[in-house]
Amino acid sequence: MAMIVYHSGNSLLHRLDPRVKMILLILYTMVVFGVKSFSILGILFALVLLLWKSAGLPLSRLKKYLAYLTGMIVFLIIIQSFFLPGNINLVKPIFPEGFPILPGRGFVSLKGIVMGVLLGFRLFVLIMLMPTFIMTTTVNEMAVGMVRMGLPYKIAYLATTSINMIPSLQDEATTIMEAQKMRGFSVFEEGRFREKMKAFPALVVPLVIGAMRRAQAMGVAMDARAFGAGKSRTYRLTLKMTGSDWAVFFLMVLLAALLMGGAFILDREVSLWNRL
Amino acid sequence: MEQTLTDADQAETITAVSIKNYSYSYPRREGRVLDGINLDIQRGELVALMGRNGAGKSTLCRSLIGVIPHSVGGTVWGEILINGLNTFSTSVASLAEHLGIVLDDPEAQLFTPMVDDEIAFGIENLCYPVEEIRESVEWAKEVVRLEGCGDREPSTLSGGQKQRLAIASALAPRPSILVLDEPTSQLDPVGTFEVFDVIYKLKTEHNMTIVISTHKSELIAEYADRIVVLHEGKVIGNGHPRAIFRNREIMKKASIHPPQVSMVADRLAEKGGVSFTEEDYPITRAELCDFLRKRGIRL
Repeated sequence: MAMIVYHSGNSLLHRLDPRVKMILLILYTMVVFGVKSFSILGILFALVLLLWKSAGLPLSRLKKYLAYLTGMIVFLIIIQSFFLPGNINLVKPIFPEGFPILPGRGFVSLKGIVMGVLLGFRLFVLIMLMPTFIMTTTVNEMAVGMVRMGLPYKIAYLATTSINMIPSLQDEATTIMEAQKMRGFSVFEEGRFREKMKAFPALVVPLVIGAMRRAQAMGVAMDARAFGAGKSRTYRLTLKMTGSDWAVFFLMVLLAALLMGGAFILDREVSLWNRL
Repeated sequence: MEQTLTDADQAETITAVSIKNYSYSYPRREGRVLDGINLDIQRGELVALMGRNGAGKSTLCRSLIGVIPHSVGGTVWGEILINGLNTFSTSVASLAEHLGIVLDDPEAQLFTPMVDDEIAFGIENLCYPVEEIRESVEWAKEVVRLEGCGDREPSTLSGGQKQRLAIASALAPRPSILVLDEPTSQLDPVGTFEVFDVIYKLKTEHNMTIVISTHKSELIAEYADRIVVLHEGKVIGNGHPRAIFRNREIMKKASIHPPQVSMVADRLAEKGGVSFTEEDYPITRAELCDFLRKRGIRL
């Protein structure tokens, strides 16, 4: 099942100019990165969730994202709690003061745990942010949007064709695994981690060869249809910023500014867990 | 100044494809894949390329659009003229307005997420104005009977629809020549008929020159004006489908299965003492029925 694929619909988010969506995506990615406070991240989370709901994106997918991220989040928490020094340590340092490279580290700091949770939360909000753009914008809209913003069309196509190829690669991987399963090769289903790693080439080699063959045919087809003929090209799709596009743009920029300002004011929260 | 056409000029204007002493070898590979090909295809003709896998059919198709040697590289001898343009000195993009190509794999040649975008892709690259793009897209959809599928995702189409979409995409710049490289090899019989139906329409209603490489003898017998048989990079047969399918030697050498009707005719000649002439040797079902009716044999 494809994880990132265009999800057709006619919501405000779908109708929004792709350029607005692109700029807002970059802006909000920066906001998410810049925010250190839980409450603002919470507001951002609620906002993105609202966008998902309004665009009719399948919320069930969030569970999948969370499942994929769990390992990463646990890893972040462990690393942070081990190495981020704080005032309250739950476990005394494993490495003594004179220890090379890591003197006095190896504790489990409360601050580290909180920081790990924050980073994990941030990561999750970031991952949620992407589909609000990718799943509501057709590849062609993205390409035209990028070109209108000044990117060379060949680069825009490189980016969009790669996005377009993800679902077909996922399908192909599923087909290969099913074909292997039918012939009694079930390591990917029930094998242990080490066995899976060992069996990985059995999946990757045919997948890569298939992808290369397909890319070659695609190259011929694109060449034959005059791709790269001139410095510029025309587009069937015409983009025009409407009043509502501008309104959404300014509103969202204002909101981003407010959130950043709020995060700044809520610094007390930060100083609170500086005490941790 | 008034210009008069010489005989040679006139011959040039009705010759859509002219291949002169053309040979080709792939980069980093020994031996010539195509060897001394001489072939003229007239405007409005439907020519089938037949031969076993590896005979050089696909290589020839790709040579016609100029992808060989422009994108692939390799060594070329001789020349190919498309509507008088040399494929060697003309860019692939400029050739696209004269000649469109459809490949065998329906998936690989469709790379946009919407039918309309797919058809528009080529003419967008050629910088057609927006209005003209929209018109051409509608026209191409009508020709291949995909009206009403404009905003569908190509991956949701059936095999036959996908190949018809590939044809529409090649047709959008309104080329006069269409090259199809095994367009039905991955299709079921229904899809195959749909595609051949469109090909026949292009020939009869739009007077297009069509070059098609295929193994489908039955359909070729029905639709083609001429068959060119390739074997190990050389042309070993070039003529009317009747003459080619009747030639056992060529059929055997190139591993081509003649139409079933011809096999019945051969059996009749062998066991039933029926003799066929060059003209009445049947290659389609209708022809066989006709022949038998004339002989007073009731089916």
